[in-house]
Amino acid sequence: MLMFDGGVYRISELYELIEDLGGFVIQKTQTQVMITVTMAIPEEDRPTIELKSIELGAKLVEVPLAGTEIAVVAPTLGRHHMPHPVCDIAEHLRRFGAITVVMGLARGKGRGTAQITADEKAFIEEYDAAVFILGNFADCIVKEKIRLFQDIDIPVAVACGPEISSLPNCEALVCGIGRKVERMRRGEEIAKLEETAAAVQGIIAARKQEVDEDPLFVHPAEIKQRLEELEPVKQSLRPAPIVLHLDGLRVKVPYEQSREMLEGVDIYGRKLKDITRISPSRLGGSTMIRILTKAQVASNDTLAVQ
Amino acid sequence: MNIRVEGTEEFGNEVYAELFERILVDLGLTNRVEVARLVVKPEVPLFLVSIRTRRARTAVKVSDISTVEQRQRDTYMMIGDESYAPALLALLWKRFGRERIEQITRLEVLVHGIKQEELEDLELDPGQELKKEVLDAVWRLLPEGFKVRHNILSESVMTVAATEHVMQPEYISLAEKVHREMETAPEEQEVVEDV
Repeated sequence: MLMFDGGVYRISELYELIEDLGGFVIQKTQTQVMITVTMAIPEEDRPTIELKSIELGAKLVEVPLAGTEIAVVAPTLGRHHMPHPVCDIAEHLRRFGAITVVMGLARGKGRGTAQITADEKAFIEEYDAAVFILGNFADCIVKEKIRLFQDIDIPVAVACGPEISSLPNCEALVCGIGRKVERMRRGEEIAKLEETAAAVQGIIAARKQEVDEDPLFVHPAEIKQRLEELEPVKQSLRPAPIVLHLDGLRVKVPYEQSREMLEGVDIYGRKLKDITRISPSRLGGSTMIRILTKAQVASNDTLAVQ
Repeated sequence: MNIRVEGTEEFGNEVYAELFERILVDLGLTNRVEVARLVVKPEVPLFLVSIRTRRARTAVKVSDISTVEQRQRDTYMMIGDESYAPALLALLWKRFGRERIEQITRLEVLVHGIKQEELEDLELDPGQELKKEVLDAVWRLLPEGFKVRHNILSESVMTVAATEHVMQPEYISLAEKVHREMETAPEEQEVVEDV
């Protein structure tokens, strides 16, 4: 996974090269004449892309979190928790290629009163991983706040202030961040951002391994290529109309209007509805597509024959 | 400025002292706060802030900080001391309504339909302004979930005790004790042991 950071001049040459190498464009973000292109290419072809980037005067960086969507969760969106350090962490994860979403809980503030609703949990579970940003008091975190990320089905990383040896209900823990009222720009703070990114990379790698144990029928990027050709997707004005997940993708078109069209998309001779589970997303106007595993598709085929 | 934090968690104490200092810097209040004392006991839960401010400027008459001239039915004002301008404008807007106040330049104001004498007798009280700003800093500092509050105010000291559920009498008596100590000898205080 690489990210090309350069200008739009002769960018079509890069797209053609990626296609020739059998790679995928995961994400394109254009700001006036500058563009960042996240791509997945075979490892052995990396020098070819590097040469092209030098030719086009662009930077090429490794982005281990590309193709993932991560939720950065704060107890609330009040000024006590926002914008720092929540936005700093979300921004830092973006530099590693992840698409991040910042969210605040409706009633996550306080100690004994902090709570998370089933609806909020279901919303968070649509993402590949979640990072919970907590405060400065160990007593509060260890005794009360752990409830916020209990029974969440995706990997969770927690960032908090005090040094805590371990926390239940989460896969990774980064201490030494806590509540802040200014940007994290000092050397030791940047080191903490790096540590958070490394922790998220760790939990994403474990999740990838889990997915690989029972491989998906197709890679999400292959479905993305087909969906990009659809008219409603082309017309979507949202910055990233299709977002890749480890086990599927989010398409930012309304479920009700687009269900039939999506179900009928042809993927290697099969209908999309036969190899995925398509459902409305809790994020307004979006549709979630979860890809079935090879074993699930084979099992469905057997049932159909019987 | 002297910030003292007492609490059960060393990390939390250090961070909150730094947080409060940053908040005061952001609001431009560092030279207005003389001593701040925080009692932080998340396990109780109790968060107590007591602040002793330096003396605010005394009340001033509008005629002392600006030149006031009658121009037919309107009154023209030229603000002499810029630091009073925001407070003076806010007072004029509140008293006469925005439609009567015309700000010609940064320091020139035309008040429509008001007599010179009426404006000259107005008084500005920066003390109230300072209290509001310090209270804003305290609200930014207090943990968001600690909504149940008890405030004690006197001339130069402001104490706010905040908790999550019920404000217990012992929290209030502790707040009163800290408040009294801050009024008399803010530098020589005992450490709060138990609540």
